[in-house]
Amino acid sequence: MPPPESDAGAGAQAGNNSSDFVRKLYKMLEDPSYNSVVRWSADGTSFVVLENEKFTKTILPKHFKHSNFASFVRQLNKYDFHKVRHNEENGEAPYGRDTWEFRHPRFRADRRDDLDNIRRKAPAPRKMPPTEDAFPASQQIMVLSESLNATNVQIQSLQEQYLDLDRTNRLLVAEVLSLQKIVRAQSQASNELITHLNNMEDRRRNSRHSAQSSHSSHSGNNYHPATLGFLPDGTDEPAPELRRAREILNGVSPDSQADRELERLSMAYNQNGQSPADSAGSSAMFAHPVPGGMNVMHDPFSDPRHMVYPVGQTTGIDPFHADHIHNIPYSRPLSNPNVLTEAPSQITPPPKDHQGGGSLWRGKKPQILLVEDDKTCARIGSKFLSHMDCSVETARDGLEAVEKINQDAERFDLIFMDIIMPHLDGVSATAMIRMVAQNLPIIAMTSNIRQEDITTYFQFGMNDVLAKPFTRDGMIRILKKHLTRMLKDPQSAGVLDSTEIAGQQTAGAPGPGPPGYAPAMTMAGNVQVKMEQTPIQSPSTTASWHSPGRLQNPSPNFDQGGYMSAVNSSGAGGVVLTPGGTQRPPQQYANYIQAQAGQPPTLARVSDGMPMGDDRPEKRQRLYAPSQGGPYVQ
Amino acid sequence: MPDFGDHVDNGIFSQILEMDDSEADRDFSMPLVLNFFEQAEETFVKMDKALIQRNLEDLSGLGHFLKGSSATLGFNKIRDSCQIIQQYGHKQTIDGASEPNEDVCLKKITEALNKAKSDTSHLEGKMKQFFKW
Repeated sequence: MPPPESDAGAGAQAGNNSSDFVRKLYKMLEDPSYNSVVRWSADGTSFVVLENEKFTKTILPKHFKHSNFASFVRQLNKYDFHKVRHNEENGEAPYGRDTWEFRHPRFRADRRDDLDNIRRKAPAPRKMPPTEDAFPASQQIMVLSESLNATNVQIQSLQEQYLDLDRTNRLLVAEVLSLQKIVRAQSQASNELITHLNNMEDRRRNSRHSAQSSHSSHSGNNYHPATLGFLPDGTDEPAPELRRAREILNGVSPDSQADRELERLSMAYNQNGQSPADSAGSSAMFAHPVPGGMNVMHDPFSDPRHMVYPVGQTTGIDPFHADHIHNIPYSRPLSNPNVLTEAPSQITPPPKDHQGGGSLWRGKKPQILLVEDDKTCARIGSKFLSHMDCSVETARDGLEAVEKINQDAERFDLIFMDIIMPHLDGVSATAMIRMVAQNLPIIAMTSNIRQEDITTYFQFGMNDVLAKPFTRDGMIRILKKHLTRMLKDPQSAGVLDSTEIAGQQTAGAPGPGPPGYAPAMTMAGNVQVKMEQTPIQSPSTTASWHSPGRLQNPSPNFDQGGYMSAVNSSGAGGVVLTPGGTQRPPQQYANYIQAQAGQPPTLARVSDGMPMGDDRPEKRQRLYAPSQGGPYVQ
Repeated sequence: MPDFGDHVDNGIFSQILEMDDSEADRDFSMPLVLNFFEQAEETFVKMDKALIQRNLEDLSGLGHFLKGSSATLGFNKIRDSCQIIQQYGHKQTIDGASEPNEDVCLKKITEALNKAKSDTSHLEGKMKQFFKW
């Protein structure tokens, strides 16, 4: 250990004897430009922090790489500095109120050489720093908030794991069920084959028999006994291979107990999928939720206990923030890069008609809720909307929006919802609003228009997307589309939409063509319909063996498939599925949907192996009834 | 409408001007624009602070915040700089690739912030002329 030297420079090198902290402190006090913020006291035996805030924000980060005054003070305490107390009643606060003076007997302006003698105190009473009384509140709060943050982080990761497991489990249950079906079908097929082989065998034997027994060589004789051969001969044993095969098949009896369990699980999942928070489709269409749905499994999303927000975000909660997005329990379809680049230009198609003056609306003005944290956006949006003769209310974040809806779910006809907002983001707010207002159109307003983001919006119950920066025409288009029933002249909205439908029906038919982005955007309301129908039509697992043709049918626009089929079948009501590969939704999507699927009957149908294209008028009517006359019917 | 060059998206900005009841008065658009510059000023101060503290998270949030307002008004240049600030605040490049080096992020943000400031003051001058405030 080198001996301490009087020279400061050398002292700084003095290894473990000297303290970085104390030297930094001394160095900081040498800088005359800080004089108004922190400086030596007049006699040089203590130092004074005059402007706490400035000190914390500018000087601490420079010299100590943090900006936490409390921890600075803690550090001082560790080196046995003491706060100098002034009796203020005697007017003895020489540097004014709210200043901090610290003293250490060896820390003096003129005794640089003494710095090395300032050591850390023995780390014994860690819990009780002597100045506890000086900072009790702030320290406690800090400790609390630190541990709270840690807890939050922990909860988040647990939640992620839980959701992961949950998701896997759903997938596995679905998978097992479908495998079971396949196995059953195959054993049935084997049985058929064996029977067939048996018959062949019998026939062969009988013909040989008859040929041997009757020596008459009439050709007709050969056939006659053959037909009789369908009846078991009794004397002749079937081939031993066939007998063994049949025995094996009969020997395997399914474990009915396990089957029932599986069935129950899958039902429970499906019931849960009904929850409005999870699926736009079920919420919009099944306006009457299944009463007393089993709550065996908690819906991970709508359960508020699971709502943990990204820690530390103050300006806005981005639902796509890594901390957040992974908590959302669904699998996102792959995005198509080609679609991405097209998106912005097609989202706001040029207006076909300008409604300059005069009200668009038949009776009462639509009540619009505009949820937007940015004042400029909110003002422009409100202005546009009131120009379109709507009454507008604004909410500054998701929480405020949810509160407004909770007060009166019926008050609004449509919501424009920003996505990234403080307190509660737009996607989560939508999920919550969906619990009380299933049919209310909610439009995402966002500059995040990546395909997967949009898919997320839809999956969490949003009906459409308005790209930011929004235009007046974009807003009009949305209003016309989603508030058709309120229009004075519904045709004005209809013209545009029906041509779109026509176009999409052809696109949805076997020739896939490049559907591009526009259909998804403009017809977005239909995603609801899609959510509804896909589970009925095509859990891809059943498709694979009921109509093998499907599998061979390549699906070039894989991730558009979902949209197309939605458009197709919703547009024309009666048109269901043509055996076009394009209508198959993306695989993982289908799985998800299957897990979320409608009610038990749906499942039963699927397991019955109903042909895919089967029309189900009774179901259809039920699906449409609640929202009939609403904006989703094109 | 005057030509603001590539500073302003004319389509978006003119829609806002159309909302004014009278062109002489501009009692809708003018306060909006004025308000924006105030907001920008405040945000820049906060960004400077956050830069000193190397607080990337705040920078990202502030970038997002000003990006929204500038985009809504069609102030494209400012918007683009804000986008850079937001992205690098998230430790990401503009293309969304990860950029773990905080020094690089801070440098990019500093550049973008300086550009945003100069673009803002330039645009403010032009707007001043246009609105005659």
